[in-house]
Parts: sequence; structure tokens; C-alpha cells
Amino acid sequence: MPSHDATRASAERAVDPQAPAESGPQGSSGPLGRRLSRRSLLKGAATAGAAGLAATAIGATASPALAATSRPVPLSGADVKAPPGPIVVHVRNAKSGDIEVFSGTSQNRLRDKDLAARIARAIG
Amino acid sequence: MSSHREAPEISKDPVADSTDVYAFVSPDDPSAVTLIANYIPLQGPAGGPNFYEFGDDVLYEIHIDNNGDGRADISYQFQFRTEVLDPDTFLYNTGPIESLSSPNWNRRQSYDVAVMNGFPHSTLATGLACPPCNIGPQSTPGYPSLAAAAVHSLGGGVTVFAGQRAEGFYVDLGSIFDLGNLRPFEELHAQYGLNVFSGPAPGVNATDHLNVHSIAIRVPISAVTRAGHPTIGVWTTASRQRVRLWDADNGENVNTGPFRQVSRLGNPLVNEVLIPLGRKDLWNSLPPSDDKRFAGYVTQPGLAALLPALYPGVFPNLAALVKSGKPRADLQAILLTGIPAGLIPGFENLTGSTLADMLRLNTSIRPTPAAKQSIYGVLGGDLAGFPNGRRVTDDVVAIELRALAGVTYPLVDKSFKPDAAAAKLTDGLTPASVSSAYLGQFPYLGVPYSGFDNPS
Repeated sequence: MPSHDATRASAERAVDPQAPAESGPQGSSGPLGRRLSRRSLLKGAATAGAAGLAATAIGATASPALAATSRPVPLSGADVKAPPGPIVVHVRNAKSGDIEVFSGTSQNRLRDKDLAARIARAIG
Repeated sequence: MSSHREAPEISKDPVADSTDVYAFVSPDDPSAVTLIANYIPLQGPAGGPNFYEFGDDVLYEIHIDNNGDGRADISYQFQFRTEVLDPDTFLYNTGPIESLSSPNWNRRQSYDVAVMNGFPHSTLATGLACPPCNIGPQSTPGYPSLAAAAVHSLGGGVTVFAGQRAEGFYVDLGSIFDLGNLRPFEELHAQYGLNVFSGPAPGVNATDHLNVHSIAIRVPISAVTRAGHPTIGVWTTASRQRVRLWDADNGENVNTGPFRQVSRLGNPLVNEVLIPLGRKDLWNSLPPSDDKRFAGYVTQPGLAALLPALYPGVFPNLAALVKSGKPRADLQAILLTGIPAGLIPGFENLTGSTLADMLRLNTSIRPTPAAKQSIYGVLGGDLAGFPNGRRVTDDVVAIELRALAGVTYPLVDKSFKPDAAAAKLTDGLTPASVSSAYLGQFPYLGVPYSGFDNPS
């Protein structure tokens, strides 16, 4: 059974977008210990979007310049461990790349302008 | 009131809306404390076919602070699960519900209980049955026995109940929210020149014949106190996951993310009448340890300033006190720190200097026998009543009105003479204003009103 206090301490983590993919320091596979890499995030967002369960809220429209610098990241479904249940991505501010990712009782926050721009473009 | 629909956001989310908290040494077992948190306000008993139930997506908690820092040292957590046996009928029940295992009970709830006293949590029980709502003589015959079967003993001296109960908080909402009118004194109200009232009238209990949903737990005092520190602080919270999506494909909500607090309640009426409208939602989201931010609303309460204006000439001494700008250290002690030793003979429930809205219960004070209880609690010389915890029968409306009007200010300034009217303030109600009698045993709140017998 979750605790908001405990969850607050353990589940709100900022993710460095420059860190190597799949290099979460927590090393835990549990829902509170999961650390999303940029790659798994992209895959998760794509999966959740396909399932109709992803939500994006665009804090600001991505600029053309930002969108132009966004590069697709090749994905291989086999190397992604998607958590059970929906993954919800909240782009708080597309210009700054401020993104929140929710799954289970976890929440991760990261700053990734490329990803934010791609999501912004995806929603039109 | 005492915290029903008290803040703009939570008023739109009834299943997460805490209405009252009670904490008292159990009269039938003085080695234990009973903690009750009520949710889902103002239930019309006939509200079917989807009768009231706890939110499966809400984390309900009852917290205990036993070191005075305004943070939870022990949290009892309750999470509910709803099961529908036959989704192809619109009926809550397809025949009489004569037991908690009746196949006629189509939509039912169960719950898990856990305790957090560190990390990780410890599960106390899973799959505990709630009782059904009280529908009527055909659907829920023998309701008192049916509900009694939903009182669960978990071992270790822990007893729990979660389900519908009669509202035990008596209050004249219709009068009070009509610009601070108190029917017993309404001829003294300023009436804004409208001259509506010419004489006193009896109070009307707005919550009579209405139900709530109660989460009640009885635990040994030794399990919640520290040695040598008998006073505990108690409050309840409801939390929701940060994200809720309407999944239109499946016609259901999907929740994800960490739980965040959306409702809080400790002392009655604090968020209701002391915290201003623009900060109530924020208050609901924070722990008691953050209440220093709101202390000014307790020590300079707006309602104390309103009383002399609403009742011209009735509260001259209170008016002078308000005008002096002196902070109400008495209210700070009652609501935010506890009352230190030396102010009231034989009594203290101080938890320390941290300003935190918690219901403070000195567990070393034994229950007062029913025949000797005062519904005015400590103000009435009954040290086992509010603000030493809160019993289900305590008249917290009158107690807090009187305190706000200055009755308790002499505790900190013996030169102050309260106005004669202050000690008489009441909305005219007593426990007898509650039609469904309180119980003498756990869970103490009365049998819920049935829809058949209370159709409107």
C-alpha cells in the first residue's frame, strides 16, 4: 500500500537526459525504484500513445528551430522493459523540455528539449 | 461543517472529502484509543441505485504524531476495492442482503489495512468486508446485525470498521451559513436592516437523517504513544494519484503516478471557518507541520471580528480584544500546540512548540462515565472531551464558538472578562438532535438511516 510521503521522497526524481541509456543508478526493477532512461521513455511514450492512454499537456508550442534540431532515436522494442499499466507523459513546457513521466505510483521528471519537441509535433 | 464541503476543490470530490475526525480513549476499553475519520458528506439515505461507497482510487489515512513535530509517526492506511457480481443488472442488490456473503449483494466493497511506522509499510489485513448501505427493510433486513458483522478484529488489540454510519456531527448549517445566524439568538442579529427575526427559535440539525462513511480503528494506547509521552496528535488525509485520465475507449478513469494529499482534517472547523477561501485548497494539500504558514488565521480569527459586527452590542469586550490586535494565544494553544500544564487544573495536552493543527488527545486521562460527561468538554469541566481529543457527542460548534468569542482568553490573560453572551453561544443543538442514537460500543456512531425510512 502506497504512502504519499514515502512516494514523494522516492519517486520524484530528475533524470539527466545526457546520461547513457538504461543507466539508472537505482538498479531496482520495482515500481518505486524504476528509473526511466531516455530510450525507455521514448518507447514508453510511444506504447502508451498507441494504447490511447498517454496524455500530453503542452505548456508552450515548440519552436521550429527546436523542432528542427530534434533527431529520431532508433528504437528496438526487444530491449525495452515497459512497466505494467499506462505511462503518462506530461510536457510541462515544450520550450524548456520540462517533462514529467508517470507510471504506477512513480513519477520522474526530466529535461529533454528534443523529446518535448517530438511530442509537441506528434500532437500537431 | 465540521469540514463538510469546506474547500472549493474538495467540495467537488465527495469520496475524498473528510468531514470529521474523532479521537478518544475508548469508554469500553480504556487501554485503547478509537480513531474515526468520516468521509462522503451529507448522504441522502435514498441515494440509489448507486449507493454511496468509498473511492477505490483514494488512499485514506489516519495519522498519529507522537513526538510533537506535526509529522506522522504512525499512519493507518485504508484502500478499497469494489466488486460487481453481475454487471448485467442495474441493481445494487437482487434480493435481501442478510449476510456480508449474500449472493444478493451485487455491488460490494472490501478493503486492505496497513500501518506505516517507518518504511516499508506493514499490511494488517486484506479483503475485509464493508457492510452494504442501509437501503430498507426488504434489501437490508436486520441492518444493525449486518453492520456489526463488519467489525473486524485483526489481532494485537486492533479492531476496524469501514462503512456507512449515521452522521453524528450535529450542526445548524442552514442557520449558520445564512450570514452567521444562530437561531437561539437570532433576534439579536444585525439582520442587515431586513428585520426578519423577532424572537429566538430552536436550532435545526441540518445533518439529521443523513449518513456518512466512517473509517474507524481501535488500537492499544501502547501502540501509538511513546513512553512518558501520553499525548498524541491525530488527523486524517485522503490522497489521489497525480494523474487521472478518462479512458473513453473503456469508459473508465485511469489513475497513475504518486499519491498526493487532497484533503486533511484534524481539529473541527479549522479549515472550514478559520482558513480563508483562497487558501483552503492549499491547506488541504499540506501536512500539519506546515501550519505555521496559517497560524495568523488562528491567532487573528476573522470570525472573532465578525461576531461583534453580526450581533451589535452583544460582544463589547470581544470587540475591544479584537481591536487591540493582541494575538489569540488561547486559540493557538487549543488548536495548534496543545494546552500546557498550569492553565487548567489537572490538564495538559501540549505536544510542543510546533504549530500544527492536530486533534490532541492526552491518553492518560480516563474516559468520563457517560452520565457525568459534558458535551462542552474541557470548557464544561470534562477533561476527557474536546479539545482533549474529540468524542462523537461533543458539541464542538458551541465549544469553538465560545472559545472564539473569548471564553478561553482568560487562560492567557486573567484581566480579560468575557462577555456574558460568550459562554452561552450555541446553535441550539445537543446529541439528542441526532435521531439515530450513538452506540455505546465500537464504532460508536449510530446505525445509518435507511433510504426507505428517510426518502427525502
